[in-house]
This record gives sequence, C-alpha cells and structure tokens, in this order.
Amino acid sequence: MAITFEKVNFSYGAGTTLAHAILHDVTVNMPSGQVTAIVGQTGSGKSTLVQHINGLLKPTQGRVVVDDFELTARTKEKQLMQLRQKVGIVFQFPENQLFANSVLEDVMYAPLNFGADKVAAQAAAETALRRVGVAEALWQKSPFELSGGQMRRVAMAGTLASDPSVVVLDEPAAGLDPKGQAELLQLVLELKSLGKTVVFISHHMDHVVAVADQVVVMHDGRVVAKDTPAVLFNRDLDWFKKMKLDLPKAGQFAEKLTAAGMKLPERPLTLTQLATAINTEVGHE
Amino acid sequence: MTQAIKINNLNYQYDDTQTLFDDFNLTIESGQWVALVGHNGSGKSTLAKLVLGLIAANAGEITVFGVPLTVETVHEIRGQIGMVFQNPDNQFVGATVADDVAFGLENQQLPSNDMPSRIDEALNIVGMQAFKDREPHTLSGGQKQRVALASVLALAPKIIILDEATAMLDPDGRDTVMQTLQALKARFGKALTLITITHDMDEATLADRVVVINDGQLILDGTPAAVFSQRDLMHDNGLALPFAGELAAQMQPAPANYLDERELIQWLSRLKK
Ligand SMILES: Nc1ncnc2c1ncn2[C@@H]1O[C@H](COP(=O)(O)OP(=O)(O)OP(=O)(O)O)[C@@H](O)[C@H]1O
Ligand SMILES: Nc1ncnc2c1ncn2[C@@H]1O[C@H](COP(=O)(O)OP(=O)(O)OP(=O)(O)O)[C@@H](O)[C@H]1O
Ligand SMILES: [Mg+2]
Ligand SMILES: [Mg+2]
Repeated sequence: MAITFEKVNFSYGAGTTLAHAILHDVTVNMPSGQVTAIVGQTGSGKSTLVQHINGLLKPTQGRVVVDDFELTARTKEKQLMQLRQKVGIVFQFPENQLFANSVLEDVMYAPLNFGADKVAAQAAAETALRRVGVAEALWQKSPFELSGGQMRRVAMAGTLASDPSVVVLDEPAAGLDPKGQAELLQLVLELKSLGKTVVFISHHMDHVVAVADQVVVMHDGRVVAKDTPAVLFNRDLDWFKKMKLDLPKAGQFAEKLTAAGMKLPERPLTLTQLATAINTEVGHE
Repeated sequence: MTQAIKINNLNYQYDDTQTLFDDFNLTIESGQWVALVGHNGSGKSTLAKLVLGLIAANAGEITVFGVPLTVETVHEIRGQIGMVFQNPDNQFVGATVADDVAFGLENQQLPSNDMPSRIDEALNIVGMQAFKDREPHTLSGGQKQRVALASVLALAPKIIILDEATAMLDPDGRDTVMQTLQALKARFGKALTLITITHDMDEATLADRVVVINDGQLILDGTPAAVFSQRDLMHDNGLALPFAGELAAQMQPAPANYLDERELIQWLSRLKK
C-alpha cells in the first residue's frame, strides 16, 4: 500500500492561540512494498509525520493518502477505523500503548477488534509474541511488570498480530539489546518480503543502511532529502553536520582511517564493506 | 578507597515464581564509571531500583557511602543519587520544563536565589533552554530525554545512574551527553560515581569498568578491554562488541589482542606501511 503526503502542514493546537506549526509543506511518497526510513535530528517532526499515517493526527492543511484512503482535516473519527485496519504503529514509548491485564490479552486486542474470533486472535497473538522473542513465561504477566525491552517487544507483537499492510515503527530499536536489534532488522526485511509497506524511524544510520530502500531526511518540519541509502550517505560530510546526522559507523571509521593515512577507494556503509575494503588494501601492500 | 555502593548477598524476586537476584554481590568504588550491560530482562533496571530503595530486597544488604539502606536512611540515600529512568515520562513532575528541573532542587533546599541559574545552566548543557515553558509531555522523545538529564545534572548528585538515558537521542544529543559525562568526571574525580545502563557497547567503552549481568547473575566484570575480549561470551549473552571490536574480528589477519577504536586504527595504519 503506497503512502502519499501532499502539501501537508500540521500545527499542534491548530486554531488556538497556542498553535505550534510543526510540519511545513510536506510532500513525500512512500512506495508500496518498500521500506522507507525517516531520519532527522531531535524535534525535526518524524513522530508527528508518521502519526498522520494512521490518522492519530490529521493534517491542518493538505492531505495524506494511504492506499485508497484519503485523510484531511475534515476526516471524521468514525471513518478512521478503516485506516487503522490497514496501518499498525509501534510508538516511540511503547508503555503508552500497553493497557490490558495480561501480555497475551494485550496482543490479542487488535485482531479481536478487527473481527477475528477468539481462537484465531489467540493464535495470531502467540505467533506474533514468538516472532519478537517474548518467552511464554511472560504471557500471563501484566504488561506493566516487564522490563523496558520486553515491553517494546510486546508492543511490537500487538501491532503485528492484526497483520496490517502498513507497519510503522517509531524508533523501534531503542531499548532492545544488541541481539534484539539484529532480530528487529531481520523482522523488517521479512515484513517487506511479505509485501508490506514499512516506515521506520531511526537515529541509527547502521540500521537504516541495513533495511531501507529509501531514506527521507527531516529538518525543522520539512523534508530536505529523499534518496536511496547508497546515494544519501555519499553526500558531503558538511551536509551531515548541518543536518545533525551521522554517517553509518563504517563510514565514520573510514573517515578516521583516512585521517590516519589509509584512504579507502569508496566510502563503506556497512561493517562487511569496510572489512573487505581494509583487507584488500592491506593485502595489496 | 571509599565505596560508593556495596551490594552484599542480595536476594530479590518480584513474585514467588522466580528468583531474579540470588546471592548477588557488587561493589562500586567512589569515582568509578561503571557501564552495566545485559540482555533485555536481565535485571539492570531492577538493580538500580533496589539501590534507590524504590523496591526492597528480600535479603542481603545494600550500603551507599557506608550507610546501610534501611527505611530510616532511604531518604538521605536517595538525596545523593540522581537517576534518569528508562522512560522519561515516568519521571516528569513539573507543569513546565523549568518546574521539572526546579523540583529536585527544591527538595535539596537550595537557596532560592541560586535556583534560576542552576536551572538555566542545566538546560543549557542539554540544549533545551528554549523549551523552558513547555509542558514536558508535549516534547519529542529525544527532547524528553534531554530534559530528564538536565533535571539530574542540576542536582549535582554524588552518584548518577542513567538507565538507557541516551536510547532516543540523536547523534548530536548522544555526543553532548557523553562529553558532558566525561567533563563532569574530569571535574569531580573521586567525588562523582557514574553508572550507565546501556545497550550501546560503544558507549560502554567510555566507562572505567563494564559489568555484564544475565538473569540476575554477574557474568563478566572488568575493564572494557577485558570484557570485550570475550567475544563469544558476549554474543552468547545477547550482546555484542563495540564497532571496532566487531570489525577487528573480520580482519585478516586479526589482531592478537582486543583493541579499542584508536588502537585498531593505529594497528591498521602500521600494517599499511
Ligand atoms: N503536543 C505537542 N504540542 C506542541 N508541540 C509539540 C507537541 N508534540 C510535539 N511537539 C513539538 O513538535 C516538534 C516535533 O516533534 P516530534 O515528536 O515530531 O519530533 P521527532 O522528530 O520525532 O523527534 P525525536 O527524534 O526527539 O523523537 C518538537 O519540537 C516538539 O517539541
Ligand atoms: N514490576 C515488575 N513486576 C514483576 N516482574 C518484573 C517487574 N519489573 C520487571 N520484572 C521482571 O524482572 C526481570 C528483570 O527486569 P528489569 O527491568 O530489571 O530488566 P532490564 O535488565 O532492565 O531489561 P531491559 O534491558 O529490557 O530494560 C524481567 O524478566 C522482568 O519481566
Ligand atoms: Mg520522535
Ligand atoms: Mg531496563
């Protein structure tokens, strides 16, 4: 399912004296079946942007189209059910989206809400919980009696269980241990192979390089770049400084190597590329 | 050496079904920077809450600067520890960002003339002075984490515990925090003890000591170099090495010993010659 933002402006408290204009004239398209990463400094408007995709926020001006659903300032609350069935979001603070008495009930909520019977909802919930590595011993616990990383995994399972066509992940790696982070990246690629459209917010450029087909860069509420990772991360270093962005770690390491006298032919974006380039360079001598 | 925190024969379980800490021991010297790492659910946040006296041990003893943690001393002990919780939403108490930073200072009974400058200074460090009058819950994720840090920095506590306090910061914010911690350590030396709970192994390399736990048990404890030499053990525990460590493992030939980033770059540039 494709997602299109057309000339979207958004203000918190629109129409009041406290209005804060946050998004400015955002036009961007996130193609169906691809992974779009959204990056940008703190406060640049990433979370605000993606909350439009399931209608949690509505554009003050302009429109957002998800598949055949059009969202504008005038969209009525009761129409949003249709949109929410297509779009699952995992929020930046997963605690805020947990609510049920047990982990299992929490994850069953969305499938039940969208019409699955109890047996099917439970099966979907169990599959999703296993998929994100939540041990069965935790399923009957209260979701509020979990560690931070466990809560994030449960929130993720809650989103996956209803099998939405669009999956939006707001900073999903935060709080996951290194193994959990690697598994998360695998999961994103798996969702893509199932034909889902994935939107992925991250401050970790290594994660972006690992999964994204395209990267949208936000700065002060505007989209300032949209490119493939390969093109984007070959821009000038000054541009990254200005956008307060990092290169992937492999690129940063290569810059330090250059400063120490070893220049690699190309800027590497992954650890494997970097290792191969260094091994070749050293082997040549 | 004075001991900032001493945990002796600690036992703790949330419920009857499973013991989390069973006879756990850990001593942290005053002035040390300890990175506490471990997989999700290994007990890191629980340990921090036990030290703060937010939850009570089933058995064993925790002492902070030689004072045993009891119902009578918990208030005094908490006054010496500044903690940033894993979810900053759980920590905001003020109606505005400035109130929030002021809250802890009021508890410290600081002369009220000194307060505005302390608040400004702390917000300045984290780059949030322009947001002074905002309601904390309307901030972005990274802005919340910055404010939570400012609230702790303003208190200038003897012990700072950061529970994944950089997980949602942008690269700029992360650098600022790490530089601030290094500057504070340089300024206060033995008078400041730091515990950073993190999943970012590059961040952990900045500490004097890395402590690895798994399901309430101490797995590894040593300098970053000693701990990160144990690549297989780290991976088996759901963890990883810092970027340079993972890179070194892919080098042909690989260096014989664990090298940190600076050492690896030196080693590589010598190979080239
Ligand atoms: N409810 C609100 N009222 C007023 N301003 C808000 C509200 N929520 C967010 N903002 C402001 O909107 C801007 C964009 O916030 P947003 O949460 O979209 O940023 P972000 O790019 O997701 O940042 P981060 O990386 O820190 O999560 C920020 O300056 C924030 O303070
Ligand atoms: N309030 C609670 N009630 C019952 N069990 C809890 C509670 N809080 C945490 N636990 C359990 O205790 C164990 C340790 O949790 P803790 O929060 O200390 O882990 P952590 O190491 O901080 O993990 P993370 O990296 O995910 O934050 C976990 O298995 C968790 O499910
Ligand atoms: Mg955000
Ligand atoms: Mg924790």
